[in-house]
Amino acid sequence: MMIGGGRSSSSSSTATAAGGTWVSTTSVSASGKRIQREMSELNADPPPHCSAAPKGDNLFHWVATIIGPPGTPYQGGIFFLDITFPSDYPFQPPKVVFKTRIYHCNVDAAGNLSLDILKDSWSPALTISKVLTAIRSIFSNPDPYSPLTSGVARLYLADKAKHDEIASEWTLRFAK
Amino acid sequence: MQNQDGAVADREKESAVSIPISEVDDWANFADDDIMQQQSAIHAEEAKKIPFVGDKYLLCCNLTVLASYLLYAVTLFQGNSLSVVSLSNTNYPMPMKNGWTVFIIFAILITCGIEKFCYMELQEPLSMLAAEYESGSPILLEKIKVLDQQYAAIRRTRGDGNCFFRSFMFSYLEHILESQDRAEVDRIKGNVEECRKTLQSLGHTDFTFEDFFSLFLEQLECVLQGNEDSIRFSPFFSQDELILRSRDQSISDYVVMFFRFVTSGEIRKRSEFFEPFILGLTNATVEQFCKSSVEPMGEESDHVHITALSDALGVPIRVVYLDRSSCDIGGVSVNHHDFLPTSANKSNAKGGSTVPVKPFITLLYRPGHYDILYPK
Repeated sequence: MMIGGGRSSSSSSTATAAGGTWVSTTSVSASGKRIQREMSELNADPPPHCSAAPKGDNLFHWVATIIGPPGTPYQGGIFFLDITFPSDYPFQPPKVVFKTRIYHCNVDAAGNLSLDILKDSWSPALTISKVLTAIRSIFSNPDPYSPLTSGVARLYLADKAKHDEIASEWTLRFAK
Repeated sequence: MQNQDGAVADREKESAVSIPISEVDDWANFADDDIMQQQSAIHAEEAKKIPFVGDKYLLCCNLTVLASYLLYAVTLFQGNSLSVVSLSNTNYPMPMKNGWTVFIIFAILITCGIEKFCYMELQEPLSMLAAEYESGSPILLEKIKVLDQQYAAIRRTRGDGNCFFRSFMFSYLEHILESQDRAEVDRIKGNVEECRKTLQSLGHTDFTFEDFFSLFLEQLECVLQGNEDSIRFSPFFSQDELILRSRDQSISDYVVMFFRFVTSGEIRKRSEFFEPFILGLTNATVEQFCKSSVEPMGEESDHVHITALSDALGVPIRVVYLDRSSCDIGGVSVNHHDFLPTSANKSNAKGGSTVPVKPFITLLYRPGHYDILYPK
């Protein structure tokens, strides 16, 4: 239903907005239109080792996967993420949650992640594709100075070998 | 922002304790933040008069404005838009006899969506501004008197960090609406096309910005009344309609974001020029600055943003500063700065049209906030 609404108004919203009926573009249809274009961009040119698509027939709820980059303890793991778009997307950031458990100082036990572009630094200039690229980069470069799990961050700084060992163990246990 | 205010307040308290100099002699040592503090203190005072209304709303509405909202809301409620003008011109000492009155007012405000009314206020005489600082700095009152000689009115915008862009949007569109200057619209369209190319060359995907661009171009077309489309679709496009649009989040925020894209593109395109200014402000790289302080909504604007927007669109902007600076002996003067588009952009403008030297957009800057000023 929601997709239908988004589609029908996406084709006509430009015309009606031009027409001067100032109530024309409701936020839902405008955001639906934007999300659809992100979807086709992702299909045409997906960022490396990432995928993302709507979960079911709800355009505002996506599932994404990121494959752990080689050379990291997450190598070869497949990490699932839930992406929820707010109705005023792209003015508000999407909500991204890890569904696969991961041993990482920027991800908490519930799967929430701390990433500046998903909070204060979010801008409508960003896209899901850029968000996925940014998430993949924290696989390689964790930020232990703004951690969600301080224990993991401490270990990362104190004993990286031990940290990596646990992380690859978790990858083997939960992500393969 | 509130935390900052708190910190400033604490600092002020400390300095007040350690340096016991009478306030009046010590204006030079006072930070500009004082003005905003004073303003919020006044708002807080106003807030106490209306007990049931939350702080959130009162941050941007004082009692008078609130009363005007009520009158506006009531007329909208009755579907009688014709009486809006006459009502909004009266003075509004609303008798708040008991809690029920306030409750009913509040309910009506919520019903009509008060948020809408806050992006752009009604035009007010400058005496309203003086009333706001009644109990405040005599220097500011002097400056407001000076302003009063040159400017007829002020229009407030919501203080949500987008106030510069929103003031610019309204002021520019209002100018086009009043002047019906098709040459100016054609000129700015040329600049908008340039900005589009800039963003493309900087690697932005088209769909991330094209909605914002097309919405702005649509607004331009709509305020030009001679346009066939606008006759067909909205024969009565008026200032009221412009105010309604500026208050409609789905239009206002899109145009703000359009300006943010344009500003960011211009800064990155001429990064060598802007780099020293940005380093002076935040110690960040140009790229970081654009990502953290230009592109996200709600990030406040500084002279870097204004310079970039003025250059990119080729629109001169005058900013009048209401602060406590420069109290020379022999009279108070109000500083202003004209942001004039660079000559480089003039040559970019197609058809050799000249950029007007006298700014038709005048904004009033009080530390942390921009409003629109109307010259006499």
